[in-house]
Amino acid sequence: MNLRRQLLLVSLLTLMLPWAGCEFIRETEIALRTGQQQMLAGTARAVANSLVQYREEFPLLDASTATNDQLYIHELAARPEIDGYFDDWPLSSDSLRTIRGPDGPVRFALASFGQAVYLYIEVSDKNVIYATPQSLMAEGASRNVDRVTLASSSPPYLQESFSFAAEAPGQILSYKQTAYGFAPEATIFAYWQDVPGGYQVEARIPAGQLGTHLGISVNNTSDPQQSGTRSSSFTGRLPGPAMQEVDELNRIVATHVQSDMRLILTNSMGWRIATAGEVQADRDDSGSGLARRVYDLLVEQGKEAAFAEPDPLGRELQPYVSAALDGQESGSWFRNSDTGTAVVAVAAPIVDGNQTLGAVVLQQGTDAILSLRTEGLSRLIYLTLVTTFVVAGGLLGYATWLSRRIRSLSIAAEDALESENLTSALPSALADDEVGDLSRSFSWVLQQLGEYNDYLRSLASKLSHELRTPLAIVTSSLENLEHEPLNEASLGYTERAREGADRLRRILSAMSEASRVEELMSHAEPEQFDLRAVLESTASAYRDVYKERSFNFSSDLDEARATGSPELLIQMLDKLVDNAVDFSAVNDEIDLNLTGHDSVYEVSVTNPGPPLPERMRSQMFDSMVSVRGGENTRHLGLGLYVAKLIAEGHGGQIRADNVDGGVCFTVTVPRSKT
Amino acid sequence: MAKRIAIVEDETAIRENYAAAFRREGYVVDDYEARGPALDAFESRLPDLVVIDINLKDDVEGGFELCRELRARSADLPIIFLTARDSEFDAVSGLRVGADDYLTKDISLPHLMARIAALFRRLEAMQKPQGTEGHITRGDLTIDTERMSIHWQDQLVGLTLTEFWLIHALARYPGHVKNRQQLMDAAQAVLDDNTITSHIKRIRRKFHAIDPSFDSIETVYGMGYRWLSD
Repeated sequence: MNLRRQLLLVSLLTLMLPWAGCEFIRETEIALRTGQQQMLAGTARAVANSLVQYREEFPLLDASTATNDQLYIHELAARPEIDGYFDDWPLSSDSLRTIRGPDGPVRFALASFGQAVYLYIEVSDKNVIYATPQSLMAEGASRNVDRVTLASSSPPYLQESFSFAAEAPGQILSYKQTAYGFAPEATIFAYWQDVPGGYQVEARIPAGQLGTHLGISVNNTSDPQQSGTRSSSFTGRLPGPAMQEVDELNRIVATHVQSDMRLILTNSMGWRIATAGEVQADRDDSGSGLARRVYDLLVEQGKEAAFAEPDPLGRELQPYVSAALDGQESGSWFRNSDTGTAVVAVAAPIVDGNQTLGAVVLQQGTDAILSLRTEGLSRLIYLTLVTTFVVAGGLLGYATWLSRRIRSLSIAAEDALESENLTSALPSALADDEVGDLSRSFSWVLQQLGEYNDYLRSLASKLSHELRTPLAIVTSSLENLEHEPLNEASLGYTERAREGADRLRRILSAMSEASRVEELMSHAEPEQFDLRAVLESTASAYRDVYKERSFNFSSDLDEARATGSPELLIQMLDKLVDNAVDFSAVNDEIDLNLTGHDSVYEVSVTNPGPPLPERMRSQMFDSMVSVRGGENTRHLGLGLYVAKLIAEGHGGQIRADNVDGGVCFTVTVPRSKT
Repeated sequence: MAKRIAIVEDETAIRENYAAAFRREGYVVDDYEARGPALDAFESRLPDLVVIDINLKDDVEGGFELCRELRARSADLPIIFLTARDSEFDAVSGLRVGADDYLTKDISLPHLMARIAALFRRLEAMQKPQGTEGHITRGDLTIDTERMSIHWQDQLVGLTLTEFWLIHALARYPGHVKNRQQLMDAAQAVLDDNTITSHIKRIRRKFHAIDPSFDSIETVYGMGYRWLSD
């Protein structure tokens, strides 16, 4: 992984910024909500305390009555048409209470508007048995028809019921049964509507006709000869007290609500007995979609906001309300998953002495906090994203710059190594940072290497120089010794010593050759000459010298003007040919070839023989490096070094390649400029 | 009367070896290991020939100094540098300060003796009236083998002994290619390729100084050199 990718990864750490911001916002939001909740709870407590004085207004509670036996009378905002359909009721269908019937559920609702109570009921009935005029009139025998009965009583006095049966779909007449008899009741307006799978009845009953306790029962029969099955909203003989909002309480609590606040008052059983205010939960302030999504990811989700709505069945059973009815002030919060608006709700018990009258539920939209939050959130997201991009971009740019410096440094170092120009200045050498240090270290290492190389190069000539004097002592002593009377054996030894000294002298001479060639080259006056003529004549000289090899000279040029020192080039050629002869066998052919290229000539010496070992290829032209095997120790590895010195001194290059069955040394020599 | 040779050489073993060889040849030898004692001795009496090492102990260029001072005192005193320093630069410097020959310590004693004898011969020939015997003439070139001097277009070419012998070897048989080994033998020296090349270059330069159109020494690439006669 390169430096840029690494730094880019590191820059991802700046994503911590949005996270930290969101954490902060979450904390803030919780703090704000808690504050709001506490404030709301205070209000709820105050309202609860003030409502104690209205304890008489709270509906009577009959502890013996099961709450299931109780019905709730909804407040209607508009008058429904009596047509057997529910769709014009300003209530949701969730408000329909369900009881089990023999052919399926029976769903019904009671509501009040003005001075009338409205009844809607839908009954699942596979086989509707209509009444006949006789069965309608027959008191008590009406169990043989499908019929809906509304039981009404005001214990302990009154007990009566209104029954709804139809001779045919459409407007029907309701019959009232009292302790005194069974008679049509003209003040009740009812409508029977057949629907697939059953029927629906809608009725308007003047409020004055009804008692405090109400119940619904349905008689379902499938045979006019048999009495049907009765399903009822109450289990006892008498229905429970009907619950509804109390006008007086409604008026009182209305004075306690502020804008965007809802107050629900329940009695001790949780029945809603007063409401005021409204929480506007579906405002469109969702902010940017991205901010919303991020927010949803980050912030604790409340319960679905729909649960904050007043219970459609009229009984508030939310846990926090139940807790309040148990005497425990409690709170909760809700969110609308679509709009993000939240609702904070608290419930406070209304305590009168040791009796809980009911609970005050206060709900308030947290719109203010949320809008602040989404605005803050989107700004935060925007800012931190910009920061992240800027930081990532900056780091990327910096990494690019840094890696470019390092790369140019490494390229320069490699170039310096390759070109052996070890003193060349490296990039960033003056920089005051680690790359600068690296560059300086590189320079230093290269310089050391250069000095070492120089030392190696001069080692041979220095050595030969230093050895020359002791050698002179040896040879002059030996020569003097020859003039002394010596016996046969001594003469033999002297002779051998002389041979050894002579060989030593030749080695020393070879060792100092490189420095002499360098010296010559720096003093040489370049002359123009015909490289082809030089090579041709040299080749014929080689034929004389190396009688056991044959030499081929070939060239595609008639003349090759070059500038330099022909003597030195011949010396170079001597080294290459000497090398070629050593590595080839008797009677092998050694090829000398001269070709012309754009700006250079190429002189090559090719001999059959073993290939060059690959690992030595780059070093074989260095001083004192020999690719020869161990048996031939006469070679110090200076010949090719001298050849390289001469080639480079002429502005050319030398290289060695393995060719098919042999080795080819190639030297480039620049063409003469003129 | 025996010739007197002075050796100035800091290396005792070499000095004594050379001294012994010279004495064997019948020369009288004075040996000095430094410039100071040598100069003091030369104050009272100049030897007939001086062999000097360049590097005299700590006196790195002491040989050059000594040579310069000796040359100032006597124009025709034969002076030979015998040194381990084989660089072209040193050779040129040595000849410039007035030495008659510049030899490296590679030289064998017999070769050295031959050179010394030649130098004495030349000195003697100089003192005789000039005759014509022993003259070789090749066009503009005249070689006086007695005095070991060479004239080109009747002008004296100032040559060292080695250079003289090289030209002598080449010009004796004009048109014949002399290879390096042959030239080496003629010059009574062990010379490597580069030294021969340098010598030929230097010779050409000396002739060019007299006659810019001089081109009688031809390089036969890969083989050697030959003298071209007009």
